[in-house]
Amino acid sequence: MNNKKNSKGSFFTRKQFELLIVCITTGFIIGYSYNQAQDKREAGTIDSELFEQEESYREELIAQQERNKELSEELNSLQEQIRKYEKSFAADEKAYQKLVEQAEDLRLLLGELKGEGKGVRITLQDGDYDPKSFNPNDYIVHESHIFKLLNELKISGAQAIAINGQRVMATSYIRCNGPVITIDGTQHPAPFVIEAIGDAKTLLASLNLNGGVVDQLLNDNIVVSLEESQKLTMPKVKVES
Amino acid sequence: MWLPFLGLIFGLALGLLTNIQIPSMYENYLSIAVLAALDTLFGGIRAQLQQVYDDKVFLSGFFFNIVLAAGLAFLGVNLGIDLYLAAIFAFGVRLFQNIAIIRRILLIRIDKKRHNNKKTPVE
Repeated sequence: MNNKKNSKGSFFTRKQFELLIVCITTGFIIGYSYNQAQDKREAGTIDSELFEQEESYREELIAQQERNKELSEELNSLQEQIRKYEKSFAADEKAYQKLVEQAEDLRLLLGELKGEGKGVRITLQDGDYDPKSFNPNDYIVHESHIFKLLNELKISGAQAIAINGQRVMATSYIRCNGPVITIDGTQHPAPFVIEAIGDAKTLLASLNLNGGVVDQLLNDNIVVSLEESQKLTMPKVKVES
Repeated sequence: MWLPFLGLIFGLALGLLTNIQIPSMYENYLSIAVLAALDTLFGGIRAQLQQVYDDKVFLSGFFFNIVLAAGLAFLGVNLGIDLYLAAIFAFGVRLFQNIAIIRRILLIRIDKKRHNNKKTPVE
């Protein structure tokens, strides 16, 4: 009875109050752990997804690393090759330079280039008319004289040769045609001015040898004048079709 | 009479709405707390049905059991032994026993009621 009165007065008894607290606490714990478990389940699924993603990324990474390795190996081999090339280049460079110089010389000789440089100028003139002489061939310049001169010049290292301003190439021909000579189809009268680019001293020395070309020419009554020139210019070969 | 149920539902709602994360190492404590709470709850119901209910015993038992179980689990975690299994075992056994007793008492009561109902019209 007393209890009942009490309960009516304060809405519920102390016993019920305690029960309420216990129930609330129990409910809270159960609900909370349920919540927690759910979170964990979700986290688990997310974890597995993340794991798969990570796995795929890792595989990708491994593939990339392998590719990198292959590429770096390739790079190494290529660099090795380049080094080899460079070494051979270095070895060949001197040879190349020589070849280039040689090519330049050959071009000059061929007349493909305009020649310019120090050299000698040789003038061959027919001898004065000699009434004693029966044959005028004895004192005029023949192509054989020019041949001798050209040969001597070439042997002495002339790089480019021109006669009366016409370049003489390796393939040029010279023909005697009476009082004139024909060089590659162009006629040239006397006097013949032969210009040769090269080391002037050597050229002159070789020409002036005792019993050499100049002596022989003089022997044939030809007026020879030698001249050292600081600067000679020679035109390119005019190719006549 | 409906107050405890209301309280239970209120507590459930509160727990579901609470979104505090606890470290995973404390999950053992949570499971034990659930068991202890359930055990005490059913113990209280049984005591009520057996007419031996004492609110002091009930309340103190509720909190003391939870604390004891948590302490046991704490010890177990620190020692590296799964001591919380002992608490789970004890609470589980007691839970089943309590529920069994409740069931029997309820069955007896229902029987009595039927008996009384049958008897009263005769009398």
